[in-house]
Amino acid sequence: MELLAGRARPTERRKLELHAARCPACAATRDRIARASASFPTLRATSAPELPWDSIRARVHWAVSSGKRASDRSMPTRTWRPWLAIGLAGAATAGAVALIASRTGTPPAMVATTAGAPAVVDAGVAIVAPRPLAPAPLVGLVSRVGGDVMIDGLRGDVFDRRLVAGDVIATGEGRIDIQFGDASAIQLAPRSTLELRRFDAQHVELVVEGIVDIEVGPRAADQRFIVHAGTRDVEVRGTQFRVAHDGASTTVACRHGVVAVREHAAITSAIEVRGAHRVTVPIAKPVGEVPIVALTTDELETLVAATPYTLPVWSDASTLARESAPLELRGTRDLRVDGIEHGVAPVRVRVMPGRHTIEAADREGRFRRLGFVDITPGAVATYTVPALVTLPPTRDLAEAVRQRREQLRVGIDRVRLARCTRAITKSGVAAGSVEVELSVDATGAVGFLNIDSDLPATTAACVRNVLVDVSFGPGATATWRERIDL
Amino acid sequence: MLRVVKRETGPVPALEPADEQALIARCRAHERAAHDEFYHRFRRQVAGNLYRVLGDRTDLEDLVQEVFVIAFRGLERFRGDARLSTWIYRICVNVALGKIRTRKRRPAAYGVADLDAAAIDPSLVERPETPERSLQRREDRERVYVALEQLAPKKRIVLYLHEIEGLDLKQIAYLVDSNAVTVRTRLFYARREFYKLLGAPPPSDDHTTEPA
Repeated sequence: MELLAGRARPTERRKLELHAARCPACAATRDRIARASASFPTLRATSAPELPWDSIRARVHWAVSSGKRASDRSMPTRTWRPWLAIGLAGAATAGAVALIASRTGTPPAMVATTAGAPAVVDAGVAIVAPRPLAPAPLVGLVSRVGGDVMIDGLRGDVFDRRLVAGDVIATGEGRIDIQFGDASAIQLAPRSTLELRRFDAQHVELVVEGIVDIEVGPRAADQRFIVHAGTRDVEVRGTQFRVAHDGASTTVACRHGVVAVREHAAITSAIEVRGAHRVTVPIAKPVGEVPIVALTTDELETLVAATPYTLPVWSDASTLARESAPLELRGTRDLRVDGIEHGVAPVRVRVMPGRHTIEAADREGRFRRLGFVDITPGAVATYTVPALVTLPPTRDLAEAVRQRREQLRVGIDRVRLARCTRAITKSGVAAGSVEVELSVDATGAVGFLNIDSDLPATTAACVRNVLVDVSFGPGATATWRERIDL
Repeated sequence: MLRVVKRETGPVPALEPADEQALIARCRAHERAAHDEFYHRFRRQVAGNLYRVLGDRTDLEDLVQEVFVIAFRGLERFRGDARLSTWIYRICVNVALGKIRTRKRRPAAYGVADLDAAAIDPSLVERPETPERSLQRREDRERVYVALEQLAPKKRIVLYLHEIEGLDLKQIAYLVDSNAVTVRTRLFYARREFYKLLGAPPPSDDHTTEPA
């Protein structure tokens, strides 16, 4: 085999070559081994294939942190027994003292147990002071989700998950909004991870890697809200802000309110970032040594666009989950529901029951009303947004205007128009006509509509609504002026 | 606009021993940033090692996850008698060995050696390469992994580390948690078996005569 592997000494090699020259099968075997051996360096240089690194990292973190949580949980059980013994001893002592007191007629006395918990002895009955109640846990409700999102290492249907302390949320090419109180919500940007380290009425502690946008409504006086970003802590006072953290630096940008940034576990040297300001702290620099700068208009707009989505009401997660319903928006366009932008579909949004207006952006980014959807509690509603229609440009502009004029003439709801002018007609004023300037794009969406009229404002608005509701189908782009008789 | 978080995709420079110790200490303190740095530093090495040892990317994500979970949980016990990268390589070898054993017990429906041509270092590929040459190269790689697949797991690992990765007996002994003499013996038998398998004509080949 050494010979076949090409590691033979010169004399042996010559013998083999001579033999191979006479034996075609042996020559073929030698060639096969030589060829396969020649592929070893290539195999050694094979690099790793591209994997979903962020997803794996989230799963690793989840596995490691859940193991740690499990061990943390088991710790009190181990340390409880000595306390139990001390407590029992204390109670026994108290009982004995009470018994002696009742026999000797000694007045009742205050006795402190060895465990340190004060106990009042009154006529032989030991009353242990009640333990302070544990803070109420917070439960987060997914209010919007789109793209690749994972909770606790599981993809599945994250929309129905209730988020509690210990949960880890990771996004690939997706994002998620989580509401946890009245006007309080978190939005996790793509390729980010968020751990809800503590999540109760007194403490909210989040650990972020990537970008998280947070809006916090007014909090209870004793509640602390901290975001850990690497070695920095961002403490919240009641605000909307963004924390972006990677291996190199931490950026904290505040839209309104104020947040404090400090080194992890440091009490002093905190800096305060006020509304419309940001600070970028490189990993190697202390927090106090970097300047706080004002946000540019673009940065501020980015923060506004990243406002976490919240439902208009908040009771608690379970009740709200029952009373609301998911709205599944499909398609590939920017969407707005009831005037709130939700980014590019597909996206799943939690909405309250009732009728909701859907709008989608055209090529210029202007939102056009598409229709509405009726929501009933508990049922998933789906709305498919039509794709933008691409039509070749019409050469003959006059023909385009003619077509659009015809569509306008046919599409005007004359009954509604008459209703608009009824009031002024009754008062003896002739309605006459209005001059309109109109632009319609290839998809049939109205670009602009200017009404030139000396009609009363309410009548003009009514006429305008009638004209806006005219349905133009896909066709040529046209802009024209028109006189419409009322 | 807010600063865009730039994600590094190229090779990560090696750590100095002092930095390595600091990173280990931070990881032991359950510092999240340290865990991330650790992961970021070694993820491609781990994936590459597993990929090359196993020859296919089935379950690769799960195996990478397993290696890092073992590493993070085992850092407490890491004595520092080897470089961190070597220690992680050792975990990779053990995880791969476990995978090979499982696969032996439950033969998979998929073939071996699906090493992606795009994953090969382009500097090692002759240019221009004809389709025939490319196919030939792929077949050769497949034959190597088919032969490896037929070896016993322990023999396979030892042979792979020596013949393909080019490690010496001492290094292999550390990685497989054995001694150099055992490794040498195992390697002797593994080589004999492996080259016999490599030299055997493929099923479609017309040659039937084996060399004397």
